Amino acid sequence: MTGLLLRWLLWAWLAFSIAGAFLWAPLAKDFLGQSSRILFFHVPMAWGAFVAFVVAGAWSLLYLRRRSPDHDRAALAAVEVGLVYCVLATVTGAMWARIEWHTWWNWDPRQTSITVVLVFYAAYLVLRGALEDAEARARLGAVYAVIGLVVAPFFIFVAPRLASFTLHPEPVLNTDAELKMDARIGWVLASSSLAFNVLFFWLHRVRWRVLRLEARRGGTLVSGEVS
Amino acid sequence: MSGGIGWVLAVNLVIWTGLFLYLLWVETRVRQMERPENES
Repeated sequence: MTGLLLRWLLWAWLAFSIAGAFLWAPLAKDFLGQSSRILFFHVPMAWGAFVAFVVAGAWSLLYLRRRSPDHDRAALAAVEVGLVYCVLATVTGAMWARIEWHTWWNWDPRQTSITVVLVFYAAYLVLRGALEDAEARARLGAVYAVIGLVVAPFFIFVAPRLASFTLHPEPVLNTDAELKMDARIGWVLASSSLAFNVLFFWLHRVRWRVLRLEARRGGTLVSGEVS
Repeated sequence: MSGGIGWVLAVNLVIWTGLFLYLLWVETRVRQMERPENES
């Protein structure tokens, strides 16, 4: 019962954040039209993806230490949900670029780096799919996800800052270490970022449990049955 | 608030509420299948 209440509280928190993004937060200066409102979805998705990949790396480290298949399933679930977040961050970024830059895609350093991260974690799934032996799949997948603990932070935080020129707006974590936005924008951004990250942990837990059930039953669950 | 933004807000809320309800439903099904009597 408490769990259900907490889930509805999360829904209220998400709804509150979304409403705040459209009704309470002012438009950011120097942004065209209403484009700055995409920020309240784009940034939480990007952060959620990063958190997901760190979670995947942490579970993979645990797997390499204890060799529990359940830890491997937790890492896989984190990568899968993280990829969904990463795709949503990329799509919302492209929508914003269409308004601001008049093009969906122009290989800005930020767009290039998120593409590298997307391909890197998509390759994690391909690697797992290519291996028949469950133990080898889990072990190699874990090593790959641990390497991701270096790859993801580098391409999300370091590589875009090494570029000599970018059209991407100054990120929240900028080189001057100060919040360069209206306080209300900051509040809504913090609220939606936290809410979508909590949603990630819920999604991750559900997907992990589904993977555990599939392993127990020896097949993929389709519409509640084993195929 | 302009009408356009109101519509975008409404569509957003409908989509996220739908996803939320679907996730609740999936979790309920998973919980049912995790019960020992439902294990194959």
